[in-house]
Amino acid sequence: MRTMVGDILQQAGFEVIGEAETGSQAVEKYKQLRPDLVTMDIVMPDMGGIDAVREITKFDPKAKVLMCSAMGQQALVVEAIQAGAKDFVVKPFQPSRVLEAVQRVLG
Amino acid sequence: MRLCSACSAEHQADALSRGVDSQRYAELFRSESREQLSAINRALLELEAAPEGREPVHVLFRAVHSLKGMSATMGYAAVAAFAHELETLLERLRTGDQVISAELMDALFAAADVLEGGIDRAVDGAGDPPRLTEVLEQLRHVAGGRSTPEFRAKTDEFSNAAGGFPGESAGTPAAAPNLDEGPGVLVRVRQRPDTMLPGVRAFLVIQKARGLGDVVAVSPQLSELQAAEVPQAFAFRLVTAMSVSDIESAIIATGDVEHVEVSAGRGRQRSAVQMSTGEEAAPVSKGARHVRIELARLDTLMNLIGELVINRGRLMQLTAGNGDPALDEVMTQTARLVGSLQSEIMASRMVPVWQVFDRFPRLVRDAARQLHKEIEFQVEGKEIELDRSLLDEIGEPVVHLLRNAVDHGIEAPEVREAHGKPRTGHLTLTASRERSAVLVRVRDDGRGIDRSRVLSRAQELGMVGGDVTQLDDEMLFRVIASAGFSTAVVVSDLSGRGVGIDAVQARVRQLGGVVELESVPGEGTTITLRLPQTLAIVRAVLAQVGGERYALPLTHVRETLAWSDGAVQHVQGREVLVLRDEVLPLMHLRQVLRAPGEDDPETADIIVLERGNRRAGLVVDELTGQQDIVVKQFDAVRDGLALFSGATILADGRPALIVDVGSLL
Repeated sequence: MRTMVGDILQQAGFEVIGEAETGSQAVEKYKQLRPDLVTMDIVMPDMGGIDAVREITKFDPKAKVLMCSAMGQQALVVEAIQAGAKDFVVKPFQPSRVLEAVQRVLG
Repeated sequence: MRLCSACSAEHQADALSRGVDSQRYAELFRSESREQLSAINRALLELEAAPEGREPVHVLFRAVHSLKGMSATMGYAAVAAFAHELETLLERLRTGDQVISAELMDALFAAADVLEGGIDRAVDGAGDPPRLTEVLEQLRHVAGGRSTPEFRAKTDEFSNAAGGFPGESAGTPAAAPNLDEGPGVLVRVRQRPDTMLPGVRAFLVIQKARGLGDVVAVSPQLSELQAAEVPQAFAFRLVTAMSVSDIESAIIATGDVEHVEVSAGRGRQRSAVQMSTGEEAAPVSKGARHVRIELARLDTLMNLIGELVINRGRLMQLTAGNGDPALDEVMTQTARLVGSLQSEIMASRMVPVWQVFDRFPRLVRDAARQLHKEIEFQVEGKEIELDRSLLDEIGEPVVHLLRNAVDHGIEAPEVREAHGKPRTGHLTLTASRERSAVLVRVRDDGRGIDRSRVLSRAQELGMVGGDVTQLDDEMLFRVIASAGFSTAVVVSDLSGRGVGIDAVQARVRQLGGVVELESVPGEGTTITLRLPQTLAIVRAVLAQVGGERYALPLTHVRETLAWSDGAVQHVQGREVLVLRDEVLPLMHLRQVLRAPGEDDPETADIIVLERGNRRAGLVVDELTGQQDIVVKQFDAVRDGLALFSGATILADGRPALIVDVGSLL
């Protein structure tokens, strides 16, 4: 899952500077690396994706977080956006859609 | 007020037949008068429920008056004369000279029927309906008054009715707040047909708009919009100092916006942009003018666009590896244009269910009276839209279910009282949307189905083993929906339903839907028809098993996920899917299909299927994407194909079978 989004982004010329397996790791990594963009799964072990977004936005209100969601998670995605996520992509991932969303967020 | 004593029906007809080819307008007249007749029936029902109401009388009067004018214009003298008599009586009701009695209501209902029959016969050129004079006499008798032989139509209203007639039908009843007026500008947004999680995307648009200024009203309401499962058109009012073009580009930047239009409402300061495709902007406004189109023409358009969608897919694959930027650009534009064309054609086929549901209150009333039942009938979700051809198809099954409910579901008033229930039974017909499906539900609070009798009968017929002691809803449904059972039992002998459920089930399955049943003894029965929103093109998840691809309509797909050892567990020796806090049964499509090969947990994906409150996981080799598929029905469902509801042609030109998810669950 992570590798898939990573692959799509790398092929498009982005550099993946860090990966996290849990929500709390993601928050730590963010503080450490200050990336231009974060892609975040909604469901993650430990601290969930939505809480992680909240933490990250608290730390950096300008943080750009792109949610990765599955079908049927409408309510969760809305919650993530309320928590500060900027956009979302839906699985199964289509590279063009992922890149479109990334451009919008970075735009 | 000028009285036009010269406007006799004959006179009008003469005037018209000289100038207008009336046959050309006959069908138009028929459909226009249907609307009036349906208004008449609605008003009569309202009047019967609340005889002191003034509004229904006005509505009746106006509708009958319009019918009179229209019929006279067409030269249907008998119908016009009848409408005139009816109008005279209604005038007396309106002025309070006539009191409403049960007898009068019956006469009015009969008159509405005669009027309808008269219109049909007149259009078909079959002459006057037989009961015309009889009902007229009855009306006169009940009204106790004398009728006036000449038409006393007011010239102005008369010419209005005639002049407005080839034209504009009224809009659908407003379900959402009126945004036409208010502070700020009106922003209308239409989403791209391939929008993913459209509800969330719409929410993002509103979020964005809130960053631009004050959002003062949203239609449909935000909560509803946010839950939307299919791409939508929506609108909101925005109070902002930003320019129209800045608002538009900001909204487009939220993604998946096909069209955005900023105006003051009511047609002032119009401006519209279309996304980067160079299409002519075609803003669809609420007060739009309407044109009537032959249904066959829409069907042809639908077939053509279906073929075009398949070709688009093929073309995209063929040009993908080409590396020619000019070709790519044209291809992308063409693909988008085809998409827009498709959504426009689909939208033009959608009609609100009230167009068919509106005749049901009358039907239920008549059935209830005939059977001496007391029934309060409610219709909910009238504004929900369905493909025209689908709506036509479900009319009959729904009539069947309603009749069944009145006849066998709801008990006689005395029986209800004896059981401590209110005398009046409740019958509800609801249309609602759930994901890309439309649900049509008939619910009664009657006696429910007598399971023990169904069970013993089913055992007699050898449909159920002798060891079965109880039927759950699903088994119950399977039994009563089987053709053998229905015809084998005399309906009135069975306290519950029976006859015709098999026909309902067959019809609904043919349309790609499923029927669900819930029945609680003593409390009532609910039957739900779960239908696709449209027949021809549906959105589906494509999955691969054993090298073959299969399409699963999104109607029944709740979500998808990758196989993980944490999610798939064994409970009591059975494989299950643990999804958040739910435990779902797990099936392997490979086993279901008896396809060769073995599932590889490393790469397998799981599709979570849902039908009503039944869910299950379905393991496939790989998910290959989502796509609009053009459904090609089989000529007949053969035994070996019971798993599939049809076939489709995918982008690469290869066929794929469409899995009938209903049969898996």
